[in-house]
Amino acid sequence: MGGHDGRPVVVLADDDEAITSNLAPFLDRAGFTVHIAPDGEAALDLVERLDPDGCILDVLMPRADGREVLRRLRAAGRWLPVVLLTQVGESGERAIALDEGADDYLNKPFDPYELLARLRAVLRRARPGRRPLSASPTLRAGDLRMDRISRRAWLRDTELMLTPKAMLLLDYLITHPDEMLSRDRLLEVLWGFDFPVGTRAVDNRIAELRRALGDDPARPEWIATVPGQGYRFVARVDDLR
Amino acid sequence: MTWLARGTLLRVLAPLAAGVALAVALQAAEPTTRLYTLISPSLLAGLAGLAGTGVLAAVALTRRRAAIARAAAADAAMQRAAAEATQDRLRFLMRLDHELKNPLTAIRAGLANIDQADAAPADGTSAALASVSAQADRITRLVSDLRKLADLETQEIETALVDLPGLLHEVAEAAAEIPGASQRTIRVTVPRAPWPLPRIEGDRDLLFIALQNLVANAVKFSAPGDTVEVRASEDDDGLLLEVADTGAGIPADEIGQVWQELARGRAARSLPGTGIGLALVRVIAARHEGRVAIRSREGQGTVVSIRLPAPDRARTAPAVAGLRQHRDTPDMAAG
Repeated sequence: MGGHDGRPVVVLADDDEAITSNLAPFLDRAGFTVHIAPDGEAALDLVERLDPDGCILDVLMPRADGREVLRRLRAAGRWLPVVLLTQVGESGERAIALDEGADDYLNKPFDPYELLARLRAVLRRARPGRRPLSASPTLRAGDLRMDRISRRAWLRDTELMLTPKAMLLLDYLITHPDEMLSRDRLLEVLWGFDFPVGTRAVDNRIAELRRALGDDPARPEWIATVPGQGYRFVARVDDLR
Repeated sequence: MTWLARGTLLRVLAPLAAGVALAVALQAAEPTTRLYTLISPSLLAGLAGLAGTGVLAAVALTRRRAAIARAAAADAAMQRAAAEATQDRLRFLMRLDHELKNPLTAIRAGLANIDQADAAPADGTSAALASVSAQADRITRLVSDLRKLADLETQEIETALVDLPGLLHEVAEAAAEIPGASQRTIRVTVPRAPWPLPRIEGDRDLLFIALQNLVANAVKFSAPGDTVEVRASEDDDGLLLEVADTGAGIPADEIGQVWQELARGRAARSLPGTGIGLALVRVIAARHEGRVAIRSREGQGTVVSIRLPAPDRARTAPAVAGLRQHRDTPDMAAG
């Protein structure tokens, strides 16, 4: 992975110079070689020319916004990891981002260290030349099968009856396997923002998923609790054609 | 005689008078007409009376219809104005959100840069940096809180049958995490007789946030030893959820503003928070077709109530339509 010096190469696309001029040196010091694109077309050109390891795309950009860039990359069979910088704190919005195959997303104004953590996670998960789980329409994890387009899931032959929020949560978990996902993060996935108090909403949905899957928290096959922190999807996830 | 009675009398007499007048006129004008000889004068008078009544009724009905239409038009105009005001407010919140997000992202990235580059900053610099960081975080929180409000008004909400006693107990349990809660007595009251509370159709997470916000406020504006009650009850008008405290109360001149975004009373200025809590509660109640109310006495305490419609009538209010930030929206396109 990476350029000739072994550092991962990342394209950072945002039209706000105040953001790129501050984020680029930050990512550079963290060990990435950063190339800046001021708009969507420039981002596509850079990806074409540099074949980078990953891409950070702002959603609102002139000349092809982040989503269009993402669509065009995926349509061209380019499966490099993409982190979307979204403006809208809405879970529906994020679902769309995931349907279009973003590996992860962050709402502005984000904590730059969080971006770093996300970027490292998507690069670690990347399967060079292969479609990322987040861009796959159908996934399997053990006896669990999920059709991400129609948002339906089956355990063996039985369809799971889940609330829309539990389905959204399962979708995020299954596309981010083996990653420690904090309750706050999952809350943001569900609601597009964090609650003023507590994260019980997440625990309630996890309990709903475990009930539906018959997953024993003490010996989890799918969802493990990371004490005091959050949850981790522990099953191996495969892409079904 | 009242005005109404006089009107009724006129309506009865007028057709009769018209009928008689017509009969007399016919008799005087054409005494030899063959047609007239076939019809009795009283029948003619009756027919004329019927016609007169019909004309009068039609006139009254038209006038009433016009009045109803005018009232409906006024009502629709008011609703349109209210909807427009809501849309304007949401649009403003989104623009504000949009305009603040990029500079804030840049500021946070800049601070992270300094933090990363300068492992051992000079004396005084690190304190200044920490302060700038804390203020950037504070604005971030404010922006995200405003965003939450706009989101709650526009987002689709997920409804299911909610068991209120269970919800109230969960709220009280979660309250233990609020700083200072262990020094207050937090009590849940739900009726069991003559029948338990009905389950209501609603979004459990949102109702939880609303109640949790109220409990957090009650703890915040009370002192050790005070009591906080979380209550639910039912009457013919629906369900009443209440959070009451024996705390400081709200000064009379501030009570009208508590539901507005960013409203912060004098007592709250020294306490953390962005002043979004009660506005959030109001929006959540509205999304459940409910209403909020507050009663407070300075020095005695406060009770905030959420009134929800009876379960069979309860529906959730639709999202405010058509205000999603979208890449095609002209005023957002600048990115």
